[in-house]
Amino acid sequence: MHGHYEAEGGDSAFAFEGNWREFAPIAFTNLLLTIVTLGIYRFWATTRERQYLWSRSRFVDERLEWAGTGKELFLGFLIVLALFGIPYFIVSFGAQALIARGYEALGGALFLGALVAIFYLMGVARFRALRYRLSRTRWRGIRGGSDDNGFVFGLSYMWKTVVAWVPFGLLVPWSMTSLWNERWGKMSFGPYGFEAHAEAGNIFGRYLLFYLAPFVLFIGGAIMAGMGMLAGYGIGGEDGMAVGGVFGIIGLFLFFYLGLGLIAVAFYAKFYREVVGATRWKDLEFSFEASTLDWVKLLLGDALLVVLTLGIGLIFLSYRHWKFFMTHMEARGEIMLDELTQSTTKTVKHGEGLLDAFDMGAI
Amino acid sequence: MEPNFEVAASWYDGHSAVRHVGMARWDGLDRLSLRSAHSALDVPLDDLRFGESHGDRVIYRRDSEPDFRLTLPTDMPPSFARHLPAKSTYGGWIDRLGLGKAVAIFAVASAAAVALFMTAPEWLGPRIPESWERNLGQAMIGDFGGRLCHTPEGDAALAKLLDEVDPAKVQVTAGVANIDMVNAVALPGGQVLLFDGIIQQAESPEELAGVLAHEVGHVRERHVMTALLRQFGMSVLLAGANSGVGDTVFGVASMGYSRDAEREADSYARARLAESNVSPLGAADFFERMAEEYGDGEDNAMVGWLASHPAAGERAKAFKAAARKGKDYPPVLTKSEFAALESMCKDDPDVEEFEFF
Repeated sequence: MHGHYEAEGGDSAFAFEGNWREFAPIAFTNLLLTIVTLGIYRFWATTRERQYLWSRSRFVDERLEWAGTGKELFLGFLIVLALFGIPYFIVSFGAQALIARGYEALGGALFLGALVAIFYLMGVARFRALRYRLSRTRWRGIRGGSDDNGFVFGLSYMWKTVVAWVPFGLLVPWSMTSLWNERWGKMSFGPYGFEAHAEAGNIFGRYLLFYLAPFVLFIGGAIMAGMGMLAGYGIGGEDGMAVGGVFGIIGLFLFFYLGLGLIAVAFYAKFYREVVGATRWKDLEFSFEASTLDWVKLLLGDALLVVLTLGIGLIFLSYRHWKFFMTHMEARGEIMLDELTQSTTKTVKHGEGLLDAFDMGAI
Repeated sequence: MEPNFEVAASWYDGHSAVRHVGMARWDGLDRLSLRSAHSALDVPLDDLRFGESHGDRVIYRRDSEPDFRLTLPTDMPPSFARHLPAKSTYGGWIDRLGLGKAVAIFAVASAAAVALFMTAPEWLGPRIPESWERNLGQAMIGDFGGRLCHTPEGDAALAKLLDEVDPAKVQVTAGVANIDMVNAVALPGGQVLLFDGIIQQAESPEELAGVLAHEVGHVRERHVMTALLRQFGMSVLLAGANSGVGDTVFGVASMGYSRDAEREADSYARARLAESNVSPLGAADFFERMAEEYGDGEDNAMVGWLASHPAAGERAKAFKAAARKGKDYPPVLTKSEFAALESMCKDDPDVEEFEFF
């Protein structure tokens, strides 16, 4: 039987074949149903959206398939509500009652405990959401998953994030890459695990740029404001100086926010190129080719779409982001189809409730 | 019937990534035989489940073999199509009802739920026994752990003031909180607090009688319980939506309510003041000052004195109108009693600070 695929040069291994006109009826009916059900339909809406996006995404010669259901997402939501929402309600109620009675320290400690628990669960949620998405993704009838439940990852997430900020945030690139490696290292697709060896050193330069930019921009901006004042003085004396100063300060703010935003995007672009490029699956190597300019175009497009449609465009953002992700993903290497057997990982019967509760993205 | 109807098909067995391309043959009853050059598989039709449709192809899954995928063309003879599982677009219920009908039903149900949750606190609140509310208040805030001001003379003055505006057998618990803010609140469990700030700025004991009467009004009209129920109902109702949206809607909903409640508490206050022969002009003075200082209609989510949605000027007028012309009201507190109330927080050596305000 024809045994293997080589993805080498030529066409990209990943492709997105959807178009927004096909997506629009799904997005609009989802919006309508979500509104009339006071938000409860959103679990089914997510599922329909993913079903469309996955089915229009091709990997090598076959399309992906989303096998998740709205019911399991709803179930995940109910589980999170019962296991975490109610205890959280009780703890915050108790903390308030303690503070009202004069036990500020005890009440504060209880609040702090709840915050630490949320911090931990955020890590667990990220892990489990990725696991859920892999376990519901089918390619040629094969799925992914993980046998790890993410509880250990939650601890890593906590200590690595804290350690990253201790030396004035200089270890943030390390914590980001190392958490990526740890998370993907525990995931698998079919019989093979993923491996990730992203290195913080490769993104540290960009991070330093982001880190030092506020100082540079501030000094540069102050000089600009000063020059504006001088120029204003030259044109119109004292009043001119005030006007010049105001323009200078506006310039400083624009420079500061746009400049810093741009550098942050540049960092994330580099980060994703590094971590995806350092991830492999058996004999397959991945890469992510989006440049900073690509990201800027995506984000500007998002902003324009939302503003020009008075917010309705929000329902198309998931489509745009998935398309961006798919068109910039690349893979090289070999897949032996005969060897590619079904994943033996356990599948849980509920969806990404925890992640939903914290409103975070999975990848 | 078309026994042995055959159609081109492809499938994955769910165990390996190898694609099988061949023919699907229907036996005319309840079984589909899948045959390719290298494999053969029989699938009972009632084991098939609709997966998704994609252009001119439909993907079916199997209940007994969740990762099995069978791809068939969309165009099938009706006699065979009848045996295949129905297409699903929006999810079970909605597909059965049709989108338009489902939207209408959901919209009506949601509107009814919203209406119920908006109006239920209004009639449920007053029906909840006061003893329950007191227990709830005890659980939520207790006794404020020594942050209420107490002196024998001050307590006596406050008790006298309370007797004038709360004639009920079981009175509310009134206290002076060591907070330097011009405000007063009615809390769950029949607790009424005057903040030290409002006492310091008061120019006459009648002002404080008006404020206290208003807060007692909130308790007696069961506004606090109603507000609690409303809060609880809203959070249940909006649990389905994202919390960000929920908070906003919740804020708006609880705001719209307090206007009526404030008016009710005001008219309760006027009635008590009239009964006890206390001049309502003190309260009128207070509102006039508030209107000058803060402008009319300050927004405040608390069920409190300054949560005055009815504009302060309008409220001042209402209190002024309640005064009987030419009547000589006796002072509600003596000079020394009023002074004891004013120095209550200063003179209490054990009082603690309210750190969370």
